[in-house]
Amino acid sequence: MPKSQFIDPAKVRQSGKIEFKDIPVNQYHKSIEEEKVNFSKEQFKDIYHDMVLIREFETMLNEIKVKGEYQGISYNHPGPAHLSIGQESAAVGMAYHLDEKDFIFGSHRSHGEILAKGMSAIHKMDDATLTAVMQNFFDGTILKIVSENHQGDLKSLARRFLIYGTLAEVFARETGFNKGLGGSMHAFFTPFGVYPNNAIVGGSGDIAVGAALFKKVNQKDGIVVANIGDASMACGPVWEGLSFASMDQFEKLWEGAYKGGLPIIFNIMNNQYGMGGQTCGETMGYDIAARIGAGVNRDSMHAERVDGYNPLAVIDAYSRKMELLKDKKGPVLLDVLTYRYSGHSPSDASSYRSKEEVEAWEDQDCILSYAKELTGAGIASIDELEAIKADITELMKYSMTLAIDDEVSPCMDLVKHPEIIGDMMFSEGSVDKMEDRPVEVNHPMEENPRVKQIAKKERFAFDTNGKSFSKIKQYQLRDGLFEAIVDRFYKDPTLVAYGEENRDWGGAFAVYRGLTEALPYQRLFNSPISEASIIGTAIGYAMCGGRVIPEIMYCDFLGRCGDEVFNQLPKWQAMSGNVIKMPVVIRVSVGSKYGAQHSQDWSSLVAHIPGLKVCFPVTPYDAKGMMNTALQGTDPVIFFESQRIYDIGEQFHEGGVPEEYYEIPFGEPDVKKEGKDITILSIGATMYRALEAAQELEEKYGMSAEVIDARSIVPFNYEPVIESLKKTGRIVLTSDANERGSFLKDMAQRITELAFDELDAPPVVVGSRNWITPAYELEDYFFPTKEWLIDAIHEKIVPLKGHVVTNNFTNAEIIRRSKLGI
Amino acid sequence: MANAIIMPRQGQSVESCIFTDWYKQVGDVIAKGDMLFAYETDKASFEQEAEEDGVLLAVFCEAGDEIPVLQNIGVIGQEGESVDGFNSNSAESTEVEIQVTEVDKQVQEEPVVEIVLKESDSDERVKISPRAKKMAESELVPYASIVGTGPEGRVIVRDIEAYLLSKPKVTPLAKEVMKEEGLTIAEKGSGLAGAVRATDLSANNPVYGNDFEIKRLPNIRKLIAKAMHASLQNSAQLTHHLGADARRLLELRKQVKATEGAPNITINDMVCFALIKALKQFPDANAHFLGDSVKYFSKVHLGLAVDTERGLMVPAIKNADDLSITGLSNQFKEVAESCRQGNVDPELLNSEAASFTVSNLGNYGVEMFTPVINLPQVAILGVNTIVPRPADLGGGVYGFVPYMGLSLTYDHQALDGGMATRFLKQIAIEIENLTIDF
Repeated sequence: MPKSQFIDPAKVRQSGKIEFKDIPVNQYHKSIEEEKVNFSKEQFKDIYHDMVLIREFETMLNEIKVKGEYQGISYNHPGPAHLSIGQESAAVGMAYHLDEKDFIFGSHRSHGEILAKGMSAIHKMDDATLTAVMQNFFDGTILKIVSENHQGDLKSLARRFLIYGTLAEVFARETGFNKGLGGSMHAFFTPFGVYPNNAIVGGSGDIAVGAALFKKVNQKDGIVVANIGDASMACGPVWEGLSFASMDQFEKLWEGAYKGGLPIIFNIMNNQYGMGGQTCGETMGYDIAARIGAGVNRDSMHAERVDGYNPLAVIDAYSRKMELLKDKKGPVLLDVLTYRYSGHSPSDASSYRSKEEVEAWEDQDCILSYAKELTGAGIASIDELEAIKADITELMKYSMTLAIDDEVSPCMDLVKHPEIIGDMMFSEGSVDKMEDRPVEVNHPMEENPRVKQIAKKERFAFDTNGKSFSKIKQYQLRDGLFEAIVDRFYKDPTLVAYGEENRDWGGAFAVYRGLTEALPYQRLFNSPISEASIIGTAIGYAMCGGRVIPEIMYCDFLGRCGDEVFNQLPKWQAMSGNVIKMPVVIRVSVGSKYGAQHSQDWSSLVAHIPGLKVCFPVTPYDAKGMMNTALQGTDPVIFFESQRIYDIGEQFHEGGVPEEYYEIPFGEPDVKKEGKDITILSIGATMYRALEAAQELEEKYGMSAEVIDARSIVPFNYEPVIESLKKTGRIVLTSDANERGSFLKDMAQRITELAFDELDAPPVVVGSRNWITPAYELEDYFFPTKEWLIDAIHEKIVPLKGHVVTNNFTNAEIIRRSKLGI
Repeated sequence: MANAIIMPRQGQSVESCIFTDWYKQVGDVIAKGDMLFAYETDKASFEQEAEEDGVLLAVFCEAGDEIPVLQNIGVIGQEGESVDGFNSNSAESTEVEIQVTEVDKQVQEEPVVEIVLKESDSDERVKISPRAKKMAESELVPYASIVGTGPEGRVIVRDIEAYLLSKPKVTPLAKEVMKEEGLTIAEKGSGLAGAVRATDLSANNPVYGNDFEIKRLPNIRKLIAKAMHASLQNSAQLTHHLGADARRLLELRKQVKATEGAPNITINDMVCFALIKALKQFPDANAHFLGDSVKYFSKVHLGLAVDTERGLMVPAIKNADDLSITGLSNQFKEVAESCRQGNVDPELLNSEAASFTVSNLGNYGVEMFTPVINLPQVAILGVNTIVPRPADLGGGVYGFVPYMGLSLTYDHQALDGGMATRFLKQIAIEIENLTIDF
């Protein structure tokens, strides 16, 4: 909602109609003779070579899956193999113009794209760069294997490198491109510009946009291609990616070198089936997928259907579209028509299509018809083409023999190194800035209005007499977050932040107030209301080497980016064999007062997913220190904040919140109040209610409670809790998450296991009810209060003299509720 | 009529705002809709328009002031109108009072519960918390007969504590004895403040009740216990036994006795003299093993195990290889005596003072034993009694020959078996071929 843009009612209320630009369909009509000006004989033959390379690679895998052998070499491959036999021309055409600075993202069916893009990069890289890539990758492990007995030039060595590295990855070998942790559906090789392929349909639809955002914000060369299937056009995250990529602000609000569209091509590899569902005629209504462009922006995304059965048609389309991207006219949508003869997977009986249909396409096979063109035009003889094919078959035999040899290509040894995967879950980096260059800011930090305002605030909540300053005078939790974030914006030139209402509004809860003044558009902007794209693009941005703070305005909206948070963000560091770093700090705000869809604490959900760090600081001191830690790290962090306490002052840290930079390590719980009779362990803002309970326990029942603030839950060090338990022997755990399946339960179990003999009663969990969150007026019946805590202690841990309960924590009640599922 | 300008209320939770700036000055003519002033909350900045025409008559705040919402901050009206009464609020402190809830520093103690005992029924399942059970077991509390005050009658820590408070204190020794012997706490003890001492304990089993006495260890016993235990813990000890033909020794002893005025050189003196000769040839045995290194001695500092009333002592004879047999004999008598008197130089008792030790039990008729090494020395020689053993005397004649048993315990960490055997054999050879001047 920039004020600079005036919405004129007179104008927008005028009548008229929308006219769509024409979307060309299969408009390529050049003959091979005409193309001779564009390609040398060698280039024509290279195209043939790359197509046959893919065909043979996929054929090899198909034979292994179906017959258990290829060319007399037997092997059992239990893993997946989603093959693209028939689609080779589409992949080779797509990759033909791309070099290693252009990034492609793919799907579960992307072997062909890996090979096509790999070959294209190899063709274009100079010898020194190519050698360095191969030598440096995993300390030259793969290079050493393929160098043995190699005769020929560097490019042919690199070809071996590409085929072997991909195949070993498909076979889950430690010598594969991703140490065997990616496998067939996730294999990739970033030094050739091949970015992660994705086993979730449409998974690349938003991630690739983030890569394009990275290219733009950091002024990097190259374009990004999102290879997605025709069926993925039904996926919400893909549409969200399209929406994000086509935001008006790139053209209308971003300035200078940053003005203009994202350098991205959404490349629909349209093989006309989504598994067995026929997209045109059955499961979709777009008829021709290129039509989608018309609905997205004024340029109809420069959409076009291209005959993907002719590699030259695809190459031609890319020549034209890449010019558009150079002129910052992206995004582009290409509907590359193709067909796969192989099943969705080897178990596919093709019950959804007729034999005649498959044969009709085979009759027009892209490789055969291209070969006919080459021989007909006198570019290559049949013998030459046969020789190319024979050479490739030898290469496959060679690569397969090596890749299945347990001596040369072992799988990870988890007996010898039982923690080898565990060690890859987090990269545990500590990095000031992801790139070393000056930061783009609008003014020196000390001139920032918010910075000036904070300078006047009281950094400790109480004066020397213990009297608290007024709320507005206190340095608040939101100020702690702001200080850490603004500091990083002035340190790390790659840092960007975005989400809903992040810019002019200053974030819905005023954490970013002042940042709008400090930062140009490309570093802080409003995203569409589209959580999947907010997180998906952040993942792509980080994969390429940037640091990013996406914001989810209410925790409840995490469901909107479930795939991105659960399947993408936590996986890529380990699935890449630690090639990729993921410095993404997702700010998630937990609400209250706004009912069932705006008040949930879902920290337990994300803690359940391996690969995410999860923290929930509740004091200004902790918030600043932990935000600093999150932003210094290279791991994905889900950073929870509570709307109940954005305005809370610092009540614990002596001397107040330091002005200088400091970090608070993840995993260390903090004793907020010492005590000796009972321990209360809290997650999130419930800590303040735990303190109230502690006060009442002390005053009314002579019981001294120790209050421990978990601060982070992944990782978490149980030792301080056990130490406390040794003293108190009793523990209550509390948070605002609803109690069933919450992380508190996990902690209670761990504590029982680790300190059984210290317990004078079972650890007791006091969470929210397993209901919808009711209106604010009824919240005290839903969220834990001090009374709940005291009642639970009385009922389950130690009966308190004279205490009268108001809540039912008896076993009978627990059983009743459980039986009903409430 | 003049009207107040108030600080607007921005949202439910805002109690006060920071006033940022007046856009007009007192006396300015104001038109409705003119920007009048700016203010901010902790979330955002705002500008306020004038809501009526008039003249700005008075202002009651300036930039930076914190103003509670809905308070008057100025007056707008017609020239000459009075502003009295508008500023009544501003006299108050703008500081919003917030009661600090200081946690009472005087921490009250959790109240102690009353202890109620019951007849314990062996069939009844006892409900007790893990922590209470651990405490009960270590404090010997019969928890099965306590009525628990925890949830569902569970015995919890406070019950055990209450029980212990109701019983007299128990000395640590008494507690140990109770644990070992399965005794229960006496009702009242004979110790200080009624503390129960070991002697106050009553046994459950009358047969075995009082047939022992417990005495504290004297310090030297503790030291010996510690050193001996440490020796076996920290080294790889084993013992070789080998006999030496003692005819020569007995012959020499006879000569000593027969010689008028000769010093009283004992068999032990002679064995030690022979041993010193052997040690000079086996420096590996005359050494200390230090874990990652070995300390070789150029001199022999011979330790001699001496039995005293207070316990075993091992004084060292420094530079024993410089001494004649007479000198050695005198030294032995001297240190043995001072050990028995208790006035030996403590430095000489240190195990590091000696490079090798001899323990002679021959006098007591011991035929074979496995002495314990005085660490860090690498070996110790046990000298046994002399017994007659059948031997081939040559020419098909067999007879009984007096043999002295030698038991060499060595630390296999420092010495190998071959070396140890050769050394032990050398001692025997030296004994068998001993010559002495006296």
